[in-house]
Amino acid sequence: MTVRRIIVEPRGLASLRLTLTVPLLSVLAALVIGGVFLWITGDNPFTVYGHMVDAAFGSSRGVSETLISATPLILTGLAAALAFKMLVWNIGAEGQFLLGAIVAAGIAIAMGDTIPAVLAAPVVIVAGAVGGALWAAISAFPRVYLGTNEIITTLMLNFIALNLMNYLIFGSSSPWRDPLVSTFPTGRPIPDAASLPRFFNRLDVGIFIAIAVAVFAWYLVNRTRWGFEVRVVGDSPETARYAGIQVPRKILGVFLLSGAFAGLAGALFVAGPVGALDPRSLDLGLGFTGIIVAALARLNALAVIPVAILMGALNNAGPSLQSIGVPPEIVTMLQGAILIFAVGGEFFIANRLRRPELPPDVLATGAAA
Amino acid sequence: MSDSIARETLGVDLRDIHKQFYGVKANEGVNFQLRPGEVHALLGENGAGKSTLCSILAGLYRPDAGEMVIDGEPVVFKSPKDALAAGIGMVYQHFRLVPNLTVAENLALGHHNLGVLVDQKDLQSDAAELGERYGLPVDATARIWQLSVGEQQRVEILKLLYRDARVLILDEPTAVLTPQESQALFSTMRQLTDEGRSVIFVSHKLHEVKQVSDRVSVMRQGQMVGEIDTADAEPRDLARMMVGRDLELPTREEDESTGEPVLVVRDLRVPGDRGLESVKGVSFEVRAGEVVGVAGVSGNGQRELAYGLVGLRRPTAGSVSLDSVDVTEANVLEHIRQGLAYVPQNRLGMGLSPGLTTEDNLGLKAFREAPYSKGRQLVPAAFKTRGKDLIAQYDIRGVVPGLPIRLLSGGNLQKALLAREVEMQPKILIARSPTRGLDVGATEAVRNSILRERQRGTGILLMSEDLDELLALSDRLIVLYEGEIVGELTARMATAERLGLLMAGQKDGGN
Repeated sequence: MTVRRIIVEPRGLASLRLTLTVPLLSVLAALVIGGVFLWITGDNPFTVYGHMVDAAFGSSRGVSETLISATPLILTGLAAALAFKMLVWNIGAEGQFLLGAIVAAGIAIAMGDTIPAVLAAPVVIVAGAVGGALWAAISAFPRVYLGTNEIITTLMLNFIALNLMNYLIFGSSSPWRDPLVSTFPTGRPIPDAASLPRFFNRLDVGIFIAIAVAVFAWYLVNRTRWGFEVRVVGDSPETARYAGIQVPRKILGVFLLSGAFAGLAGALFVAGPVGALDPRSLDLGLGFTGIIVAALARLNALAVIPVAILMGALNNAGPSLQSIGVPPEIVTMLQGAILIFAVGGEFFIANRLRRPELPPDVLATGAAA
Repeated sequence: MSDSIARETLGVDLRDIHKQFYGVKANEGVNFQLRPGEVHALLGENGAGKSTLCSILAGLYRPDAGEMVIDGEPVVFKSPKDALAAGIGMVYQHFRLVPNLTVAENLALGHHNLGVLVDQKDLQSDAAELGERYGLPVDATARIWQLSVGEQQRVEILKLLYRDARVLILDEPTAVLTPQESQALFSTMRQLTDEGRSVIFVSHKLHEVKQVSDRVSVMRQGQMVGEIDTADAEPRDLARMMVGRDLELPTREEDESTGEPVLVVRDLRVPGDRGLESVKGVSFEVRAGEVVGVAGVSGNGQRELAYGLVGLRRPTAGSVSLDSVDVTEANVLEHIRQGLAYVPQNRLGMGLSPGLTTEDNLGLKAFREAPYSKGRQLVPAAFKTRGKDLIAQYDIRGVVPGLPIRLLSGGNLQKALLAREVEMQPKILIARSPTRGLDVGATEAVRNSILRERQRGTGILLMSEDLDELLALSDRLIVLYEGEIVGELTARMATAERLGLLMAGQKDGGN
């Protein structure tokens, strides 16, 4: 008797076409699942999706709002992509983002309008990145020197960061809180000197900073000695040690840089579209969405840009669905489904399925048996 | 369970077996017959398809095509469990034991006849009884991680006997044993066949095959090239069948080195993984242009000694100097800069970065300097051109640009690793089991590289469990036993027997 079945075997190098096709199919599959869900609940999926596309890209305001939503996602996506590439499971971009926002807002408010804008905005941005890096450092040092699990510490620090922000605005009369608003507390407005200049509707220069950072991250990983060492550590820490690479220092560097990217996202968000440390505008899960962005971009820094724009478009389109009576949560569901399909799709990028080839004589005798 | 010998003995007939991996034909129309009660040696280079064939018979892989007939009945094994139920079991090169469980518990694991509650005492007495009967002594209450490699192998064999396997497949069992332990294993094998069980003995050591087997099957490049009675087989003919051509492995030329000492080790102490001392006060030196062999059964401090010498583990006492510079406290990078090359035992997990390309791996030690980098920037073009040169020069085959190096065969991995280390023009080269698991062709290439380095004036510390190799290449030999040097021999004085006694811890065996 002859055995014949489908074989799963690892692919050496997936073609560029395949690595592009699989994420696109993941998005498509998620849309189909979401469509089925919409259909069951009595909505026409085509109408809903049409409305979403229109809201995200149908007008100049739509496009600018989509890019505004995409800006922080590019950076939190990079934060996740860089860390995951080195098997550092920093899922604390959310908290690092918030700390970046808190520090940036704090510095901006402290400086007021005393410093010229050319200086104030850069100082605020850098301060936000440092804030994110320091928040990451709370997890990074124990991870490297004591072997603690960074998944747990970064996750827990997200809640601490969120509650810290809530305390600063809702629970105290801190300098961050706007003293003029008492019924519905919010953050003190960022002074004009530190606000990012806008150039297209509400869109500010933050988008260019985010794209520049993505290019910088790609260059760093692929074209520098440091990046080469990071790639070796991410692939095989034992090999890195053997080759004389200081593994703890590399992990620390990646962890802090990852936190800095997320913190930068928070700084750009408060100094740009939000304009204050406003918990209602900042607590959107942008750090968590960054994980989806990184996964769908297959941890490639340049691919993060278009993927973040896609996710930004979804985020932007969500609220507008209420006008046609569809819950905006459909967007969160779609993003979750995209992540699941993207992760599942990895299997098909890494492996190939085929039927075993049989020599002609075996086919002949096999058929007889 | 000890009186179940009456079960039928098995005849195994594999017909026209085909199996492909990644499009590589590992088995191509292989026929293999095993008679009841025989030791059947399966001989062949690495990559010839021996392990694949055995794994198919043991139910680990399913053939793409072909037929397996046991006692006249066609069978299909969906898993090793099916094969065991049919009476066929395999001892793999990498043992499949649970380190934190006792010997008795490992025997019981996965056994279908045991109930939910198991009496430890019964298990232990069963294990002890089996061990005694087959000359496989082990402490049934010991935990696996406490055992030597040789003892673990006995547990693997006992595991099969506990399940009453009629056909035992031993995949290169002697690779981890001293000559004396190998002899003990051979008498156990004889005893098994006397009971009507049969043994498939996979090896590429001709003299062992000649000594212990009744018949030999030889594989080459996925095909069965011949089967003969051992009595009629000349080692030279077997070697030719195996390789497909006449072949002489290179050996050292006879001349004593008078070079300066390039590696001087004084009273070195290095801790083991659990903090206990694994290298206990070792002193020796290696001169330029000299190969010093380190013999010893694995687990006697070789790994820790190597780690201590290359900077991967900080010694607790003693000193190491490289080319007259004290490097005892230095880190790995400082060792590399001081001219130390290291070929670790674990090629893919330590010596090479599996997911990176061959070109990247060839630059893994020199990437900090030109031409690989310019300041802090990498020069990708240099990786490409240097890589291409080295791949051609060292005959590294199967490289597809852009593909991860882990897809290369073991021999080509080792050629790439050695190419990189030798290209550093080191003053001292430390190599651990550099030809382990390699086929004869790749072994030849690796040995030639080492001897070329010796000729160039590099001091070489060769740590190996392959005595033939140590004897062929070393000018001097030291023997490690439980972290201490128990003997030092010149090449002229050394024989496999003497080394074997020293490796077993008998100090008087040497001088």
